[in-house]
Amino acid sequence: MTPVYFSFTSAFTLGLTGLAFHRTHLLSALLCLEGMMLSLFIALALWMLQLESTAFSAAPILLLAFSACEAGAGLALLVATARTHGTDRLQSLNLLQC
Amino acid sequence: MTYFLDLFLLSLVVGLVGVASNPAPYFAALGLAVAGGVGCGVLVGHGGSLVGLMLFLIYLGGMLVVFAYSAALAAEPFPETWGAGSVKVYVLMYLFGVGVAVWWFWGGHGGYWVIDEFKEFFMVRGDIGGISLMYSVGGGMLVVCAWVLLLCLFVILELTRGLSRGALRAV
Amino acid sequence: MSPYVITILLSSLGLGTALTFMSSHWLLAWMGLEINTLAILPLMAQHHHPRAVEATTKYFLAQAAAAATILFASTINAWTTGEWNIYCLSHPAATILITMALALKVGLAPVHFWMPPVMQGLTLTTGLIMATWQKLAPFALIIQMAPFTHPLLLTTLGLLSVFIGGWGGLNQTQLRKILAYSSIAHLGWMIIVTQYKPQLTVLVLITYIIMTSATFLTFKLMATTKINTLAMSWAKVPTITAMAALALLSLGGLPPLTGFMPKWLILQELTMQGLPLTATMMTLSALLSLYFYLRLCYAMTLTISPNTNNSSAPWRLQNTQATAPLATLMIMTLLLLPLTPLAQTLTN
Repeated sequence: MTPVYFSFTSAFTLGLTGLAFHRTHLLSALLCLEGMMLSLFIALALWMLQLESTAFSAAPILLLAFSACEAGAGLALLVATARTHGTDRLQSLNLLQC
Repeated sequence: MTYFLDLFLLSLVVGLVGVASNPAPYFAALGLAVAGGVGCGVLVGHGGSLVGLMLFLIYLGGMLVVFAYSAALAAEPFPETWGAGSVKVYVLMYLFGVGVAVWWFWGGHGGYWVIDEFKEFFMVRGDIGGISLMYSVGGGMLVVCAWVLLLCLFVILELTRGLSRGALRAV
Repeated sequence: MSPYVITILLSSLGLGTALTFMSSHWLLAWMGLEINTLAILPLMAQHHHPRAVEATTKYFLAQAAAAATILFASTINAWTTGEWNIYCLSHPAATILITMALALKVGLAPVHFWMPPVMQGLTLTTGLIMATWQKLAPFALIIQMAPFTHPLLLTTLGLLSVFIGGWGGLNQTQLRKILAYSSIAHLGWMIIVTQYKPQLTVLVLITYIIMTSATFLTFKLMATTKINTLAMSWAKVPTITAMAALALLSLGGLPPLTGFMPKWLILQELTMQGLPLTATMMTLSALLSLYFYLRLCYAMTLTISPNTNNSSAPWRLQNTQATAPLATLMIMTLLLLPLTPLAQTLTN
């Protein structure tokens, strides 16, 4: 358990916990997702740097591209939700309860 | 330098605590910006200046601006800061959790500050060579990435298309 | 939606699944899953109805969290072992995390909660994609992961899924939610046998896709999403109504129909592995599912609800929907049981 390993692990876990337990705003959930992707980016980049794995250095960048797409889709959903539900509070997403 | 890097790592975790503890999106975006900035510092400290630059330019410069903009759109009259009511409890709870984890892993032997593995700044870097590899042998991945960015454009256009067929409307 | 956009989205759905199928590196597998999720979002929110948008948002959050967790677990594995290969996953925490994340992706029992609401918000066509095609990529990973995962975890996931799939469906009157719970129960059957004989998992997946496609297409033909409108389906397409009852029983797994084949082979495999208790619990849970399939059959074919005279006329209307896929799938749903020896040979 090195400090770097510990930091990105706890950062990811915090993001996931925040996404799972505190969901007031859809935007907060999306920010938690972004935090998770940020810690993953740092983890992949540090893995590449510490193992001197040159061939792997494209991976964090590919990850960044994909997480940008995900963030974009999430914000588009934010707009769509705000249009249909009038708010971005996740509590108002209650039309489909079982 | 060691202390700087450890400070950066610590700030990364604290920044994520700030995001996860459910403040108003306004402040969560700020926490994420802090985490992104110190993440860039961590990467540079480990010798990955190009990756760090990319994180700084694309993540902080591109994506977080959009997030901050959305947060400003969704602004409330009285946003909850980290000091307010339940958020304060969550912040303390998460910090306590991180502290317990630190104690669990380094309580007996050594300490958080002793173990160290970063590299000093040096000139020849693997990440730049690796990115040039991406343009030669990694062409397939580039094509996939380009395709997914195109797909994402269509996804966003289709998702934000309103009932009135694409009219932009005040939310 | 413009046909060009639909083409791009559907081909990206295919691209995502194909990428996950052919990848041996976790990053590429994750990319495939992400492309898959991104591509289906506009299809789900096609009509911009509040329920559709809500379903899309819920689906997006669940899938994005699951995908990020998959990549995180493989990163943990890479930090400890230096390996990104799917076949070299040896870190115990990473295997459990990935299995749970994949379970969240397909909607297995303790993490199934997104599935019925999401299905409820979709049109029947998108629901069909959601219930069939979207399961393929995660299941390819689950099958590859199964030898490294804790057996108890897989058994627990399987048993919980079949029971919750059975119990959850009992209380529903909405067809899409019932089909979502039926999907959860079938996923339970798939996951229980993965560690013993992965070929059987593929067999269940194939038969499940055939049966559930036939059911979805039937409901689409009848344009019905609730049990009470099922009661008037005899007036629309009498032949399909009669066969749909049998298709539902096939989903439930009654003997002369296709659905019996995978259940039979799985029970045989479980018994041969010396797990009679698990086999018994699986069989009993199938009764729970059978109850709600039977209720659908009853509402559909065995009763005639009180109706006015002119509501029995819709059969005269010309049907514009293509019925060839439905015909093929319906025949396969009803009559594949004689192929059991072939299936047995192929899976041995």
